[in-house]
Amino acid sequence: MPALFALHYYWHLPILIVLISMVYSATRYDQWDLIIREAFRWGLRLTGFLLAILGVLYLVSIYL
Amino acid sequence: MTDTSLKKLTDVTPGSKKPGGDSSERLPPPDYSYLGALLSYLIPGMGQIYQGRTGKGILFFVCIYTMFFYGMALGSWSNVYLPDTAKENNPWNLPPVLANLYNRPQFAGQFWVGIAAWPAVLQYSAYDPLKEGEGFLGTFQRTPDENRRGPNRPHGPTLNELQTNGDKTWDLGWVFTVIAGVLNIMVIYDAFAGPAFRTLPSSVRKDA
Repeated sequence: MPALFALHYYWHLPILIVLISMVYSATRYDQWDLIIREAFRWGLRLTGFLLAILGVLYLVSIYL
Repeated sequence: MTDTSLKKLTDVTPGSKKPGGDSSERLPPPDYSYLGALLSYLIPGMGQIYQGRTGKGILFFVCIYTMFFYGMALGSWSNVYLPDTAKENNPWNLPPVLANLYNRPQFAGQFWVGIAAWPAVLQYSAYDPLKEGEGFLGTFQRTPDENRRGPNRPHGPTLNELQTNGDKTWDLGWVFTVIAGVLNIMVIYDAFAGPAFRTLPSSVRKDA
């Protein structure tokens, strides 16, 4: 698992998650409090989704 | 704000039922702004700034352009282009432009970032494989050469060198640029018809 995080291109993904969450949320609301709250939710969802994919791929690489 | 106007502004999507009110009352349709949409296509967030939603416009401008140019930088500034490959691969007998987009569908997403992707269109229209990249654009957003044709041509890395000598950063770069373009479609729609959920401002919501 540490080898996965040693691949430096993974470190570009947090930037992508923050930017996508902010833009997507700002297209749904006009009020900043709602935009920030929605962006935080989407950031968590995207992070969770990517971590789930990472976990599945890791398990596949180990057991298959 | 009058009671009547407050009733019209509910935190529901347009056309849906108003919570706690008469279900026959609906939000009025949004005012469609064609000029705002055009401005947001040209420069992300410009339509919102034109409409007075300056903060959101600046947010869109910064986020979309950061994503797009960060992606270009990850791809060694060689991942936004439209190659002229219709003669080599056109299995559906499409018109040349569509065949070229079929061969490089990434540009169909990148295009929607607006003016920032227009150099690729200019380079595509003036592409000459025998030349190096001339004019004020130089090789910016020009289709990279696949192979080296001589010791000094091209000056920069070829497409094969970029893809085989590097890691996956080059591919991640074009993903950034495509996402930036596709997200700008949502920004254009926001400028055209407003946000997906129209709500009361927080100060009014507390008072209501």
